Amino acid sequence: MGLEWRMAWRNVWRNPRRTGLTVAATVFAVFLVILAVAISVGMWGKIIDDSVGMASGHVTLAGPGYLEERTLEQFTYLDDALVARLSAHPGVVGFAPRLNAFGLLSEADTTRGVMLLGVDPLREASVSTLPGRVRSGRFLETGRQGEIVLGERLAQVLDVGVEDSVLVYSVAYSLESAYEIFQVVGTLGLPDPSLERSLALISLDDAQRFFVYGDRVSEVAIRARDSGQALELAGALGAVLDAERVEAHPWQEVMPDLAQSVIIDQAGMYMMLAILVLVVAFGIFNTILMAVLERKREFGVVLALGLPPRSIFRIVYLESIFLAGVGLCAGLMLAIPVVLYLQSNPIPLGDDEEIAAAFEMVGSEPVISAKLEASNPLFSSLTILGVALVAALYPALRASRGKPVDVLRSL
Amino acid sequence: MGQVRRSTEGKAWIHGSLRTASLVFASLLFVEARADDLLPAPPGSDAREIAQRAEDAMRSERTTLDASMTVVSPRLATPRVVRFQSWEERDTKRSFIRIQSPAKDAGTGFLKLHPNLWMYIPRVERTMRIPPSMMLQSWMGSDLSNDDLVKESSVLDDYSHRLLGIDSAPEGHPGRTAYVIEYLPHEEAPVVWGKIVAWIDRERWSPLQQDFYDEDGALLRRMRFSDVRQIGDRWVPHHWSVVPLDKEGYSTTVEIERMVFDAEIDPAIFTKRNLRKARR
Repeated sequence: MGLEWRMAWRNVWRNPRRTGLTVAATVFAVFLVILAVAISVGMWGKIIDDSVGMASGHVTLAGPGYLEERTLEQFTYLDDALVARLSAHPGVVGFAPRLNAFGLLSEADTTRGVMLLGVDPLREASVSTLPGRVRSGRFLETGRQGEIVLGERLAQVLDVGVEDSVLVYSVAYSLESAYEIFQVVGTLGLPDPSLERSLALISLDDAQRFFVYGDRVSEVAIRARDSGQALELAGALGAVLDAERVEAHPWQEVMPDLAQSVIIDQAGMYMMLAILVLVVAFGIFNTILMAVLERKREFGVVLALGLPPRSIFRIVYLESIFLAGVGLCAGLMLAIPVVLYLQSNPIPLGDDEEIAAAFEMVGSEPVISAKLEASNPLFSSLTILGVALVAALYPALRASRGKPVDVLRSL
Repeated sequence: MGQVRRSTEGKAWIHGSLRTASLVFASLLFVEARADDLLPAPPGSDAREIAQRAEDAMRSERTTLDASMTVVSPRLATPRVVRFQSWEERDTKRSFIRIQSPAKDAGTGFLKLHPNLWMYIPRVERTMRIPPSMMLQSWMGSDLSNDDLVKESSVLDDYSHRLLGIDSAPEGHPGRTAYVIEYLPHEEAPVVWGKIVAWIDRERWSPLQQDFYDEDGALLRRMRFSDVRQIGDRWVPHHWSVVPLDKEGYSTTVEIERMVFDAEIDPAIFTKRNLRKARR
């Protein structure tokens, strides 16, 4: 056994230039696969986290029909039992109740239709990035009445600033007209310009009073540990909640467009990577086959000397695994530090407005970031080793078959 | 109910006729709307003229109106009643509405000076401009839109008209017959409807029923008019009911208390000053 390993290792380095080229190709492929997957996971993860931080959390609890209709007609309750259940759930990092309704904001001759979001100022910070996006003034504070926070662009359109007042008008749940003067206490800078033009926040208490909504809420936004946990968490919560009153939706259901983009983008990436791996596979195949063909005489001799064909098969296989293994190790050693560096130091994409706009569309910032998940190098390693095993099959069979007499005579 | 049943029967009838290939050419023209019941219109009838007469039955150059509106909804334990007064000047597209009750909304005013619509809320002493995009939003929580009330769009100018035929009048108007007119909105008209089909009394010209369809041809809203009373030479329905067919349990009725045609209206009514002069 030890002999086979030694022979295979030495054989690998009998033609250092050829081996070196194949190893280099493998290193390159491993490096690229790990980096591409890490960047994809990192960037989409950030985009998803940013998006759910602006929207309804990784998981959204809402009344039946809410996702389709989004009117006051669909509601749920955040009662004490649900608070206790969510607080105790290990997968729930934070949760916040919201009231989501349409309203008109008016100042002087300007009126804008806006999305009025009633939020619990304390809980909101545990779920969304909204409280951290204050551009001027401050965020809503618990216990204060009649305060409103506007998207910066909305404030500009209405030509109001902090300490000015705006008229909010809507139709309450009771179908009465609802109107009240709110005091602007702050503005928010949001990555999505259209949201910044149409979002206004008031406290949940004010919203429930304004819309004559009682204890009802539109949704409960939940932050999970990361976007990958959303499906599982939604399933777990959905199983224990009363489906008549409340449904648990993972972000993929709340933002199907985003989920679709992720799938399409990753499908494209995996296709490219598959082609890359295929090229490497042919490189390994070629190297091993060449190495086998030029050693016909050698194999004939050792067979004649009594080495079992099984051993030859194993030697060739080991060569292929060494070849791929060396490339794999070098690739991992190169890729992992780069990915880890990128993970802690995202690269800003400069000041290009078009790029910035593209990122703003999805509510994120223009940086190249990466995230290394254990599954990434594991998956890459298994793929490369699998490739080595498949690529070596034909050369190994070829080397180990045939009678020594025939092999030697054919030379 | 009767109309819905008739429409499904109509479909079956069409299919049957296609099978037996016994479709009469004349009725081909009216296939899409309740073809079984419609009789061809007498020669020389003009759809636009009928639409014009129907419009004139309910409006004059200057019209004032006192009415109460009742909103029924599964959300409400007791119906919401809104009383209001309205002044309208047709050719200048100006109108003014003042809410009288409930107390919370009393004094609230709507002023339309084409193409702008303002709303004044006396309790907060603010005037709010309602942007054109809000024309089709619910008016005061009812199943009527702002546009239904202030009539920014015109059933004459923003639609083309087609006479579908003659039908017996809808339920509640025994013994009467009606023209059935299809209103198709012009490309750029500020309306949401895909089409409107209206039943108009053949002798009195008063509207009896209006069906509002979306762009996919689904019936969204039905307005029915009843309690037709004569005012001068006009026959005016005093009871209007609106039922949105996509929202179960909702309806809005408008009860006309007093309507004056060709009224004297002080031009000062249609001013922002008047809007802010709420009698509380």
